[in-house]
Amino acid sequence: MSERVRRIGRLRSTVRQTILPPSRRAAARVLSPIDRVLQPGANLFNRFLGSYVGEVTGLQLGLLVAALVALATVPMWAPLFVGNYMRTLAVACIWSIFAMGWDIQSGYTGYISFGHSALSAAAGYTTALLAVNLSPVPSFWVTIPVSILAALVLGLLIGLPSLRLSGPYFSLVTFVAVLLFYRLTIGFSETLGGENGFQAVEVFTWDFTERYYLMLVPMLLVAAALTVVARSNVGTVLVAIRENERAVSAAGLDPTKFKLWSFALSSITMGIGGVLLAHFGGNVDPTTFVVVDRSIEMIAMAVIGGMSSVLGPIGGAFLFVLLRDEILRLWFGHSTRWVMLWLLVLLVLVFARNGLFRWIWHAVGAVGGDRE
Amino acid sequence: MLDSLLSILITGAMISALYALIAIGFTMIFGVGGVLNLAHGALIMAGAYVFVILNRDVIWESVALPRLLVFPLAVGVIGLASYGLYAGLVRYIEDDPVITFLATVVVATMTTEIALGIFGDQPYAYTVVRGQASIAGTSVSYNDLAGFVLSWIAIGLLWYYITQTDGGRSILAASMSERGAQLTGVDLHSVRTRTWLIAGGLAGLAGIFLGGDQAATPLMWLNPLALAFIIVVIGGIGSIKGSIIAAYLIGYTETLTVSMLGQSFRGILSLVILLVVLFLLPQGLYGREYVHE
Repeated sequence: MSERVRRIGRLRSTVRQTILPPSRRAAARVLSPIDRVLQPGANLFNRFLGSYVGEVTGLQLGLLVAALVALATVPMWAPLFVGNYMRTLAVACIWSIFAMGWDIQSGYTGYISFGHSALSAAAGYTTALLAVNLSPVPSFWVTIPVSILAALVLGLLIGLPSLRLSGPYFSLVTFVAVLLFYRLTIGFSETLGGENGFQAVEVFTWDFTERYYLMLVPMLLVAAALTVVARSNVGTVLVAIRENERAVSAAGLDPTKFKLWSFALSSITMGIGGVLLAHFGGNVDPTTFVVVDRSIEMIAMAVIGGMSSVLGPIGGAFLFVLLRDEILRLWFGHSTRWVMLWLLVLLVLVFARNGLFRWIWHAVGAVGGDRE
Repeated sequence: MLDSLLSILITGAMISALYALIAIGFTMIFGVGGVLNLAHGALIMAGAYVFVILNRDVIWESVALPRLLVFPLAVGVIGLASYGLYAGLVRYIEDDPVITFLATVVVATMTTEIALGIFGDQPYAYTVVRGQASIAGTSVSYNDLAGFVLSWIAIGLLWYYITQTDGGRSILAASMSERGAQLTGVDLHSVRTRTWLIAGGLAGLAGIFLGGDQAATPLMWLNPLALAFIIVVIGGIGSIKGSIIAAYLIGYTETLTVSMLGQSFRGILSLVILLVVLFLLPQGLYGREYVHE
């Protein structure tokens, strides 16, 4: 370790010792009464749901409820702001699904996938191909399950062989999967639409409010389902695979089986997101669905929120999309906006490896933690 | 038939030489630091643009730098940029492969956006050396020919450095076993510095000629990076010899696909070869097992 690294470490520990504790104490003094007031609610929550989704403290429950209320009442407050928040938040819901889907596979098992955009693309392209090639176009009740199934099939096609590989090799194969998908859309442009893709998918609705809820409700359902899975034994095994795969097999469990389950779960989630995205804008093309940038964005969202959690990717996705589409737009031009955004992601990566939202969640949970 | 075969042989050799340069830099960094530098493609793109800037812009009133000076300068700048990437970012996060992975990808996308902001998304065509030559009936631009020759000079120098000098041998030692190298008195910090400088220089060299061949665009980082991936995995991560052989394999495969099936199928066959190699020979041709410490 070189001298500069050590000096930065010293600086960090000074900050940790002299600046953080007093401010933390001040925050705790303000927040702990609120925490105490909310505690009965949290107790109730813990008794009925705690074993499925994990226990919360009063303040954490308050935060959750506040976030849910804020999300549910978006049509009331969003028009007060400048900008098209109804659309942006609907997009954020879709990307939350993607980020969660990436995270349940990569974040939990530690097998970092660069290819998740291929999975959502499988769903999106299936929807588009059904719409283009069949007449009359089958109803949503047919196309949506078929498209999600297509994502699952592609997920297993990628996952089955590649999960045998480890470390960087796995990431490389998933990266290649995306490139292959992209090249195929160009190479077989007659069937797959080429660079322009398809504009034939029927849009759910153009009504902002209705569309927003059509994206929000699946997002919340997916989040709830994934939380239950992540908090169950399966989730524990997945994290154990990330920490020490050999120990998992030594415990008599088959890591490959669990990795495949996580990949399948992730594919289904990506499929749901892909279908929503296809019906959101009506167009399915390589830039919206396939290109590597989309995978990188999903990863960035999950990472800035906090990998291997469910709330983290959601928070990360909302933060990322809000920054990208609304907040940074106020001051910066197109490419400056992206540079700023990536710079922020980089800063989070280096200085808050565990993610912003996980950090907030634990900080809030620590308030009044040692009451006794 | 014989003519087209000969032309495939020649054009394939030209492009493969550049692929080899790209892959060697990538594989060296992985071999020594265990870092998968996904920003390698961004360095290649930067190489093309730095060359364009130095070449196009006048330094004083209307005094342009002579090309003979611009070229090594651009290569040097990219070498330094590569070292800057290591010293300014990778050094602090290299203990966590996942974070390193993601951070270098983010650097790459960020560089793309910067290039987009400065140069716009229009391709910028230039040549390093003007003119065309005819070799055995195939027309070859001097640009590609110079790239081919310089690539082999660079590889030869690297080969000499790595196998014949102490400084180079310490890089080799560190790539085999960091602990062992340290025990025999190798300064790991200086080894890493040199590795990143060399890898950056090779990326810059490749970038300049690649841009001269196909025009510089901000998005030109992705394809070289994907190629580096493919070649390195086929050749075996960390192996320079494997990279060279795999680079020629992939270069010829691409030239063949393009001349047989058309431009839009470029790369598909290489990706398929990669998948086959990965599943049959996960360590590549000359690779060793990835040891996660």
